[in-house]
Amino acid sequence: MKRRNFLKQLSGYVATGLSGDIAARLAPYRSSPLASLLVPMDDAQGDHLKAYGVTYRVVQAGIKAEWLLNYRGGSFLLPDGPAIRRDAALAGVSVEPVDEAQVTAIRGEIEASNMDAVPLEKAPKVAVYVPPNAPPWDDAVTMALQYAGIQFDKVWDFEVIGGKLVGYDWLHLHHEDFTGQYSKFYLIYAGAPWLAEMVRFNTDAAKRLGFVTVPDLKKAVARKIRDYVTNGGFLFAMCTATETLDLALAAERTDIAAAFADGTPMDPQADAKLDWSKALAFTGAHVEPNPQIASFSDIDGHQVNAGPRRQPLGAFKLFNFSAKIDPVPTLLVQNHRQVIPDFYGLTTSFLRSRLKPSDVVLGDEEGAPWVKYINGNHGKGTWTFFGGHDPEDQQHQIGDPPTDLSLHPHSPGYRLILNNVLFPAAKKRELKT
Amino acid sequence: MRLSSRLPSRSEEWARQSIALKGSVVLGPTFSLGILGLILSVLVVRPLRAQAIGQGFELERAGQYDQAAAIYLAALRADPTNLSALLGLERVLPPINRLGELLPAAQRAAAASPSNVALRGVLLRTYVALNEPDSGRAVALRWAAAAPGDEAPYREWAMALEDAHRHGAARDVLLLGRRTLGRPGAFGIELAELSQLAGDWEGAAREWAAALTDAPVQLPNAASALAEAPDAQRERIARLLTEGTPSTLTRRLAGELLLNWGQPLRAWAVFEPSVATPSADAAFAARRFADLAGARRTPDARRARALALARYADLAPEVGGAAARARADAARAFIEAGDRVAARAVLERVAQDSNAPPDAQRLAQRAVVEALIEGGQRNEAAQQLATNARLSPDDRASLRLRLVRARIAAGELDRADTELARDSSVEALALQGWIALYRGRLREAQRLFLAAGPYAGDQRDAVDRTTMVALLQRVPDDSFPELGSALSLLAQGDSLRAVAALRLAAARLATGESGGGGGGAGGGRPDLLLLAGRVAARLDTLQQRTALALFDEVVSTGGQGAAAPAAELEWARLLERRAQTAEAIRHLEHLILTYPGSAVVPEARRELERAKGAIPRS
Repeated sequence: MKRRNFLKQLSGYVATGLSGDIAARLAPYRSSPLASLLVPMDDAQGDHLKAYGVTYRVVQAGIKAEWLLNYRGGSFLLPDGPAIRRDAALAGVSVEPVDEAQVTAIRGEIEASNMDAVPLEKAPKVAVYVPPNAPPWDDAVTMALQYAGIQFDKVWDFEVIGGKLVGYDWLHLHHEDFTGQYSKFYLIYAGAPWLAEMVRFNTDAAKRLGFVTVPDLKKAVARKIRDYVTNGGFLFAMCTATETLDLALAAERTDIAAAFADGTPMDPQADAKLDWSKALAFTGAHVEPNPQIASFSDIDGHQVNAGPRRQPLGAFKLFNFSAKIDPVPTLLVQNHRQVIPDFYGLTTSFLRSRLKPSDVVLGDEEGAPWVKYINGNHGKGTWTFFGGHDPEDQQHQIGDPPTDLSLHPHSPGYRLILNNVLFPAAKKRELKT
Repeated sequence: MRLSSRLPSRSEEWARQSIALKGSVVLGPTFSLGILGLILSVLVVRPLRAQAIGQGFELERAGQYDQAAAIYLAALRADPTNLSALLGLERVLPPINRLGELLPAAQRAAAASPSNVALRGVLLRTYVALNEPDSGRAVALRWAAAAPGDEAPYREWAMALEDAHRHGAARDVLLLGRRTLGRPGAFGIELAELSQLAGDWEGAAREWAAALTDAPVQLPNAASALAEAPDAQRERIARLLTEGTPSTLTRRLAGELLLNWGQPLRAWAVFEPSVATPSADAAFAARRFADLAGARRTPDARRARALALARYADLAPEVGGAAARARADAARAFIEAGDRVAARAVLERVAQDSNAPPDAQRLAQRAVVEALIEGGQRNEAAQQLATNARLSPDDRASLRLRLVRARIAAGELDRADTELARDSSVEALALQGWIALYRGRLREAQRLFLAAGPYAGDQRDAVDRTTMVALLQRVPDDSFPELGSALSLLAQGDSLRAVAALRLAAARLATGESGGGGGGAGGGRPDLLLLAGRVAARLDTLQQRTALALFDEVVSTGGQGAAAPAAELEWARLLERRAQTAEAIRHLEHLILTYPGSAVVPEARRELERAKGAIPRS
């Protein structure tokens, strides 16, 4: 009963921003009103990453699509039409025409198995938080969005403080150090022109926005982002942003930034003064008290730049969920691979002991004290944290060439990122009673 | 406090008893026992202390800082001047926010052993880390007063300030030290690094230049550090180092920097006077410059390398043949740099040097022939090959093939053929293939290329032959002189005439006039037009328009063959180079949709993604 109501609600959504090409061409040239295209997402797919882009553009054009959770690696079902076929052919995305009988068989298999069909009806409006003067590293999410051909806007502190997040359905954070310590890059890159420019740029922004120090500005930005999630936004964060966002939220009234960032040393009693009820994902963490150590706290399990504390990389495994009862985590782990090689980032993983009980673990390394991929709710919104910097660059250094995703069209790590992009297009359904 | 919970060993128990006996030493046989006991007690306690510190290290390595601190503190209670324990505390207390506990221990240690420099250092660093500048300063100045003329107090003080990221204060300390010690060059390296951190690259350059006077071995470090300067600062640094009459070392520093920054000829001009006076040091420096220049592949860098090698040859000892070998190297370098006049001049010196060792002579003789071939003096080169007894058989054979290649490239097919007459090597087969091709004997060329396989020449040569075989397979005729001539023009570098000749050959194919043997009219025509288009696309704007027209023709008339999609891809690439990106995208999309099975579709997709900005341009 609840499921039928849910589907009725979904059908009420009307997409905005038609993709002109697809919408204009579809109606008069559709092969058959009943024919569909299956976009398989198992090993038969020619380009997994671009498949998300093709699906996104269909939904953006106001056309209904379906995400077949756990069916052939999380396939998509699109209506057949020359424009959609054209888009898929240009992208190198494999499609299989299926007639009514085949669709019925697919639905039967879905009904009888741990699978589900989730309608996708509204393409999310995507924003990426990134400073206008691009720092010298790459953002895996913007690369994925560009490769898949999914449009996005860039926002930064001015837009966030100015309340512009309300216009977006989905927000991504990556490198930003919300503790205001420039990711402690001064420990390794002191004297580098780009770091000096970053300091100058952020200090100027703080001044213009009315904040005394950069850490104060970043804390305010962190609070605005939390409010955005509380009011129903979808947040996807990777790398440093995961850990530092929560540290900044928990340290609302506590100085956890070293002297080089705000002129005053860290509060020696910081740990005792953190208020984790204000954070999204973590609790009870210890802030790194030593400014000479390139680590923020003990949330990160791998501590990649903290010398002797550094842990070696292994592989992480995605969990299986009940597609019909837990569609959200199921959706977020759709993949053609269950086990994925791990990759470093300034924050690579999350200690289990620092997670809140309400956090959902989507992927972890078996036997290790850390997890890799987590999700949770906050207010009306949802957040997802994914540790690490670039799924196809195990140990990315500043100055390294950017990852060319055309060389990794089947990347299981990047699929997890793109699952999150499409996630807002599907609504969380109520539990069955 | 017990250092260990284990039962005491026999020697320890003996030592304890011996200590107890100190109060009741008895003359006679037991007296020596008492003394022996005293000695043993001291010997046993030393290993116990080391064992405790070792435990501290292990705990520290395991990240158990609190426990490690307890061990170190206990060690200090037994011996307040235990340096290992103090250094251990200095490491473990900051991460657990207890650095303040180090201060009393450091104070006690320094008081107990005031002349101990290491203990002074610990106390000084502790004051600085605790942000007690006045106390730190007092300790440093007391130390400096106790050791006048010693740089260590100032250096230690500055390092402590630098560790606390107080770079400005560190700089002030070093300048104070410099003034107090009365040595203008003191702390040059440290001040250079601080200047660099502050973004004052000119200051860093000044300090490095001064530091080199006392420490010439630091030249590579100075060059490496200053090479990181941002682009905007480099010219200022270069001018600063070269203004007035710079010292020898400063010239060498400036030379290395300019080389690193892509100005090799200017680098040599600045560097050269520093190696004007013969000496072993100058020879070493010249060789180093040559090696650094050799790491770069630009024409100017090659020339700079050649000049440095020639200078090195003048400075190198004549004994042992080092100079002769160096001259041969220099000659080769001049040839690579395109300066055959300079190469000949150097080689003549070697040739005239009867004392030059055989390997140097051989090198020089080979270089002479190479220079003749590269310079277009092929007949003189042939004469050398025929008459020069100082060439080794291997050199003669490889130079002959090189000469043949040069003759083929120059269109001297008959001469090339003659010189290959009795050679049945794989290399010769490949060259005979080219000769046959340029004479228009297509089937013979194909057979010879296939016989040579991938083994002749390098990979580039193998790819060229394979490309030609693929083209020849499309052309149905066994003999086609016009095509041979067109390809010969291409080999000679006359691209403009080659384009016209290829178009003419294609036209003949279309009308079936091409020549003997083979199939019907038209076969291979799109491929020849494609080749003509590719050549024209690399020329000037006018020819690029010709290329566009040729690609259009191939796409329109090429049918289902491989030439049509390949032409559309080249078309798109040319449009992209001409910044007509929207047009390029249109052609790439047409290619992918129209020829889905074509082998060039993956390449076309990458080009499409690049054109749309979906992947980085690389």
